[in-house]
Amino acid sequence: MEYKVEAHRIMSISLGKIYNSRVQRGGIKLHKNLLVSLVLRSARQVYLSEYYSGACLNAQNEREGNEWDITDSEREKFPPSATECDRVESTEEPQQSEQSEKGRDYRENDDEVKSDQADSTSTLQQEQNQNSSLDSVAKVSSETPPETSNEPKESPSDSAVAESDSTPEANGESHQPPKTQRKRSAEESESGDSPQKRTKVASSNAEESEEAEEMDTSNVSNLITIFGSSFSGLLSKDGAKPEAEDSGQICCDQMLKNLNPWSTAIVAF
Amino acid sequence: MMAGVGGGNDFQWCFSQVKGAIDEDVAEADIISTVEFNYSGELLATGDKGGRVVIFQREQESKNRLLSRGEYNVYSTFQSHEPEFDYLKSLEIEEKINKIRWLPQQNAAHFLLSANDKTIKLWKISERDKRAEGYNLKDEDGRLRDQFRITTLRVPVLMPMDLMVEASPRRIFANAHTYHINSISVNSDYETYLSADDLRINLWHLEITDRSFNIVDIKPANMEELTEVITAAECHPHQCNVFVYSSSKGTIRLCDMRAAALCDRHSKFFEEPEDPSSRSFFSEIISSISDVKFSHSGRYMMTRDYLSVKVWDLNMENRPVETYQVHEYLRSKLCSLYENDCIFDKFECCWNGSDSAIMTGSYNNFFRMFDRNTRRDITLEASRENSKPRAMLKPRKVCTGGKRKKDEISVDSLDFNKKILHTAWHPKENVIAVAATNNLYIFQDKIN
Repeated sequence: MEYKVEAHRIMSISLGKIYNSRVQRGGIKLHKNLLVSLVLRSARQVYLSEYYSGACLNAQNEREGNEWDITDSEREKFPPSATECDRVESTEEPQQSEQSEKGRDYRENDDEVKSDQADSTSTLQQEQNQNSSLDSVAKVSSETPPETSNEPKESPSDSAVAESDSTPEANGESHQPPKTQRKRSAEESESGDSPQKRTKVASSNAEESEEAEEMDTSNVSNLITIFGSSFSGLLSKDGAKPEAEDSGQICCDQMLKNLNPWSTAIVAF
Repeated sequence: MMAGVGGGNDFQWCFSQVKGAIDEDVAEADIISTVEFNYSGELLATGDKGGRVVIFQREQESKNRLLSRGEYNVYSTFQSHEPEFDYLKSLEIEEKINKIRWLPQQNAAHFLLSANDKTIKLWKISERDKRAEGYNLKDEDGRLRDQFRITTLRVPVLMPMDLMVEASPRRIFANAHTYHINSISVNSDYETYLSADDLRINLWHLEITDRSFNIVDIKPANMEELTEVITAAECHPHQCNVFVYSSSKGTIRLCDMRAAALCDRHSKFFEEPEDPSSRSFFSEIISSISDVKFSHSGRYMMTRDYLSVKVWDLNMENRPVETYQVHEYLRSKLCSLYENDCIFDKFECCWNGSDSAIMTGSYNNFFRMFDRNTRRDITLEASRENSKPRAMLKPRKVCTGGKRKKDEISVDSLDFNKKILHTAWHPKENVIAVAATNNLYIFQDKIN
């Protein structure tokens, strides 16, 4: 239990560091932010594993009951899946599940977020143009590998997250909805101090403010928008960190819910 | 007796000089950010956060003072880099000097490279001790003479003048780094040098400023997959085709520029397997390598991570040949050090001229030296209290637990604001320069 408290503390410290790095003189330091994001991920893993071991073992059934109710009502929005809690604890080959998770993310993205994707795509193109112009400045006389940021690729760092999440086998689809639902319910129930944080994020840049504002409302379509914009938004931005996609799947707590806008707050290169 | 590090049993380190203000209130711009001796050791350069470079020159040894060698006095001071603004990204570019590297001396002038986050400059430092007098067309104070007054022709004569040391920027190597430059290293061919930022390494020719070759690029196509960055890079001291670069994951890659134009594939990969029992939230941070230095012989290289220094044999990739713990007592304090950002401090390390000893810094203005032959180590302190001329430095000890002995300092009493990140060892003699925030300490040996 103490690990959970410690992990939570470390997570909040890490997020604070990421936020502060934005206002530092000399620009964001990639190395430091990468290290902080690694710590953040480790802490989150511990936090989640503690959470799940607590959630599935005993008297959290009631809470889950409520969540599953919501799940049922919103189920049509998500690809059909099995959402049992016991799946969470099943051991699994991390690579496979992580791959299917990613595939799911992208699929869901395509299916659900068409309108928002249009906005995101234009942002994406804008960012790519900016990036490519920067790169042409940087490399004058050498070939560079083409920047293709459209395919989500497997990130080795995600395997660790997948491990702690203990995602199920064959079609990892089941993983997405329960977390999503919990996230939403958590959001609905605890909206106390979140506006403050969202406001801060919103002041950073337009894309993030779009996302932060959307977090304020608590209906499902907005949540999907968040996933959509954050995902492709991340693809478009240099310096985006891997856990930003993962954060879409984590939805247990106030802190973790705020990880989504926070994770994209890392992005500012 | 632990004072034998660096040169034998009768060896003692003594205070020689300290440069910099005594003021308790330290201006950020005065914080020293790099220290480097030149190839002969005659010159010692420092760079600071304010973008200035100060060069000290050793005075000729006087016959009167046999027990101490020449002192270092200010030779030249100049503003190397100014703060800039990147309008495209709306970011300020710090003027802080990240690295200074000297070029070998080829004529009367001295050349050095200084780098901030984005730009490298080649500076020429030259002496002027003669002045021409007796010009035909102008007066001594420079005013043009009235042409009607010129009735004779004379040859100007060179007259001695007070020594003036001039620093002029000869080359500016700019716009080649998207990320922050962390290293520069002059190649042994004395024609090229490399510069490294978080994701790329470029190779420059000293004469050509509008072009550089990109030789390493670890930027992933999808930035979300970024897992490691380049933290330091250095050219091999003798083989001009070989260089190494270290990463934030604690690995070192040795590359051969003859193998391919883009050295993304390494020739050698150095990594020590992680000890699973010591895993914590901060394992990844403390394994990040902050500095890599080849030995003068070119046979070994040394890496510094947060808690230790490791010496690697270039012929053995799977583990270092020597590991020295710098301040292992900090391992239990990593969480606090993470909170106060100290865990991100980038300590440097250096070899002595004969590669028999290595030195690196720590906190509380402590610095550590390890003798590779005797396996002895010593902790010394750079402080104003031990600043009497030729005062011997007393070994310091940190008490790690239990009863604190007299003269020991407990871990909780350490001042983490007093950190020694930059040290340099004279290439030939036992003279060391230690940067403690805004002060530069020079210590040398006292031969019994």
